[in-house]
Amino acid sequence: MTRPESEILLQRSFKLSHFYDEQWQTIERLFNGERVLLIEKTGFGKSLCFQFPATVFSGTTVIFSPLIALMRDQVQKLVSLGISAKCINSEQTPEENAQIIEDAKRGKVKILYIAPERQENNEWIEATREMNLSMVVVDEAHCISVWGHDFRPAFKRIINLVKLLPKGLPVLATTATATKRVEQDIAQQLGEGLTVIRGNLMRDNFKLFVIKVCSEDEKMIWLGKNIEKLADKLGGSGILYTGTRVDTEIYSKWFNHLNISSTAYNAGLDADFRIAVEKGLMNNQWKCIISTNALGMGIDKPDIRFIIHTQIPQSPVHYYQEIGRAGRDGLASYIILFYNPDEDKKLPEAFIEGGRPSIKKYEKVISVIKSGLFSLYELIKQSNLKQTQLRVILTDLMEQNIIREVNYGGKKRYEFIPNSVSLNPKSFEELRNAKLHDLNKMLEYVETTGARMKFLCDYLGDNANRDFTNCDNTDEKRIKVIVTPEWTDTLQNFRENSFPELEVQTAKSHLVNGFAASYYGVSHVGSALHRSKYETGEDFPDFLLKLTLKAFRKKFGQEAFDLILYVPPTKSGNLVKNFAEKMSNVLKTPISHNLKKTKITEEQKIFESVISKKENVKDAFDYQPTTEIEGKKIILIDDIFDSGATIREIGSLLTTLGATMIAPLTIAKTVGGDKL
Amino acid sequence: MNRETAYWITLAHDLPAWSFSNRGGWKNEDKTNLIIRFFHENRISIEDFFNLSDESWAKDYQLSDRQIVDLKQAKEKLANNAFLSETLYNNGIEVVPVISPDYSKTLKENLKKLAPTVLYIKGSKQIMQEDSIAIVGSRDASAIALKFTDNIAKLASKEYKVVVSGFAKGVDKQALDSAISCKGQSIIVLPQGIMTFDSGFKTYYKQIIDGDVLVLSIFPPKAGWSKDLAMARNPIIYGLAKEIYVAESKSSTNRQGAETKGGTYAGAMDGLKKGRTVYVRKPDIFEKNDNNLLIQKGACPVDLNGKSMIQYPVTEELFSMVSEPQTQYSLFSENE
Repeated sequence: MTRPESEILLQRSFKLSHFYDEQWQTIERLFNGERVLLIEKTGFGKSLCFQFPATVFSGTTVIFSPLIALMRDQVQKLVSLGISAKCINSEQTPEENAQIIEDAKRGKVKILYIAPERQENNEWIEATREMNLSMVVVDEAHCISVWGHDFRPAFKRIINLVKLLPKGLPVLATTATATKRVEQDIAQQLGEGLTVIRGNLMRDNFKLFVIKVCSEDEKMIWLGKNIEKLADKLGGSGILYTGTRVDTEIYSKWFNHLNISSTAYNAGLDADFRIAVEKGLMNNQWKCIISTNALGMGIDKPDIRFIIHTQIPQSPVHYYQEIGRAGRDGLASYIILFYNPDEDKKLPEAFIEGGRPSIKKYEKVISVIKSGLFSLYELIKQSNLKQTQLRVILTDLMEQNIIREVNYGGKKRYEFIPNSVSLNPKSFEELRNAKLHDLNKMLEYVETTGARMKFLCDYLGDNANRDFTNCDNTDEKRIKVIVTPEWTDTLQNFRENSFPELEVQTAKSHLVNGFAASYYGVSHVGSALHRSKYETGEDFPDFLLKLTLKAFRKKFGQEAFDLILYVPPTKSGNLVKNFAEKMSNVLKTPISHNLKKTKITEEQKIFESVISKKENVKDAFDYQPTTEIEGKKIILIDDIFDSGATIREIGSLLTTLGATMIAPLTIAKTVGGDKL
Repeated sequence: MNRETAYWITLAHDLPAWSFSNRGGWKNEDKTNLIIRFFHENRISIEDFFNLSDESWAKDYQLSDRQIVDLKQAKEKLANNAFLSETLYNNGIEVVPVISPDYSKTLKENLKKLAPTVLYIKGSKQIMQEDSIAIVGSRDASAIALKFTDNIAKLASKEYKVVVSGFAKGVDKQALDSAISCKGQSIIVLPQGIMTFDSGFKTYYKQIIDGDVLVLSIFPPKAGWSKDLAMARNPIIYGLAKEIYVAESKSSTNRQGAETKGGTYAGAMDGLKKGRTVYVRKPDIFEKNDNNLLIQKGACPVDLNGKSMIQYPVTEELFSMVSEPQTQYSLFSENE
């Protein structure tokens, strides 16, 4: 089909008059049954490069995409154009997915979006035997490369699939962000005969700023003062990216405190809530969404007016990818990065350094897998590793072809590969060095005196010479943070009245969500606790008592409690008991010492997995006489809330004994990765 | 990973098979002849063969119009088979085409052009290259037949010979269990597609990863068990083995309810016809089975430990004389 003929069809099907040259170049190759890697910036129109030929081909085009939000969004658009498009994903019911598979088998679906993880699903595998397949697309293809910023193990299967596809079946891989190294890696992995088409990455509607600060307070104050003004000035909404899920909570509460219209979003929230936030973002329901980088990738909102990072990303590629979501309509958009030279390097460094478990743990997992065929759940139990760590180990072992993930009877198991090579820790070292190099490049971005967009384009392999006039190093005025006493007071007031929630409430027990006085790692609460527990053995200092009482008054002040109980200790003597007695004196609520351990438990902190923690405290408590509990409202005190397994176990016991309400109260709540 | 796996699967299973009702269909020999032409004579890959023009298929390979249509239709399944190949690969199942050096040489020698186009295997493929014996027999074998099986399997394992069996009840299962019990090596030849053997993979996980068990199937990976597949699997068991031991051959009933000699008998006779030595346990006089019948047909009687019970040395010439047609002797006597 010639370009003019195609453009007539394009007008008819997509209501667009013409292709860009690079789009047509890609489409023409796909018509010839070739394989193409297309690297183009966000907003270029990569999707059209496969959507258009998909409508021309006789069978079904399968698009592997890691982003559910993107799938939903694109399917909606295609359907509105009258093109039969569907997506299969984990957020739909099995019945919905099964129906779509059935439709695809009958040739009723032209474009089918699917998550790479679906290659593990039996129904899908069955369907692929019967479908009339005309093209395969790998979206977000940088996920293929371990050198990329978002490597996903499920993509390994997609690479193998592409290698096995017959000659003449068109394959398109697309990405907006690939350095030369990632480009070469993708090309090498997808096999011979791949053509790379690379466009320019310049985003001239961006206004790029870096704000250097001396503390977290300065970030919060600047944002408190300016974020609403920024949204109003630019006439839209934006995204504030934080480094951790906890930070999304803290900033969200801070904005709430200031009555700034905003909401938090992170991958830990349930699917319905996330969908509601995504919809709200599309409709500018809030001035700002505070999120981890889980939000935005693939969301086709043309008018995100600002993107602000409170935490430096791990690399310029991460950064370019995340800011790429702004200003797709070509209008001016503010891109701001905060950087605190004393603190901010620590988090990405910790990700890089702490992301890899010790070699001993790898060896342990190999030996467990050699001893039997286990599921993930069984492996967590057998190895006593945190799920996140175990997943890293499993991914690496699969990457090195030491184990494989198999599917027997619809259940995943991990299998040792006979005669496989032994573990090669060198490759971890290489990867670590590459990541540290990337992080240093990101720090260079902060410090650069040249054009910031040029810095990013150069890093991503787009070295074209252009005029760059869109940052605080060129034509824009630098932003400085001015801290006034009023704002310091407002922030102080917020800090003293904001307490982390302990989410333990379930339908089965009378436990309610409780509160901690502080996060463990924030301020000096954690170190004070650590000192008393593991160094001096002296009572917890009074400031912790005051802080905890404050949390109690703020959150449970209206409730009349009958009894105070505390979690009996494993090792740290009477610290919690003494603390609870002090609380009892102040609150004038009776305390009972009758909650006892019925078996010796280990310290929870030695267990890495939640499953092992649960097992450690299972049936470990008793209360006599049980009549003291019946009909009572109870405050349950502990020093540190980590996984919540102990609180849940005691809550369940007290519910059985007739307590009508159990409210947990702790001094601190840990944040993933806190060393106790 | 063999990049051409999807092509081999397509050639193996997506051409219409020969049958009495479809005499224009493809026999295994037709596929083998084609492979010999493109791979050995013309030295092109299967991918290149599939990408030849219709004219080339007709002219260079003398394929009929109908065969060309068959090949073109099969070609449509390549993408589907790529998905299947990836699933197999991910589950540690290898697809070994007949041209591969990993393919069992014994099987190729024994079956010649009837050797299956592909083998689906899981486990150490080196096992296929070792000396091997097959122990076959009835599903409801007698205690003495099971004892014989146990003895032979253990003796074979001691001599580092691989025990080939068919994963049925009775003799097959005994052969496998006995070999495993003394750390011997085994090949399980499945009467079904390899992807329907999940429970077996779980049961024999340790033996598979230790390199002691190889699971093998020649059928489409998702095919469920059937009596036809069980029958079709028998020649593969015999073909994979250098020596064949029959523990017990019993009659069975077919779908119509009529009595037949059963799969063991048919397989052993097939072996004899191909001129192979078949060892049959000499039964006691009170046993009701067809072991003696096989011995009468030319099988070699053995005792409970597999020792030959023929009083004189059996030579290959002697066997070939026995299997010569009677007419040769009558002609000879007439001339005399």
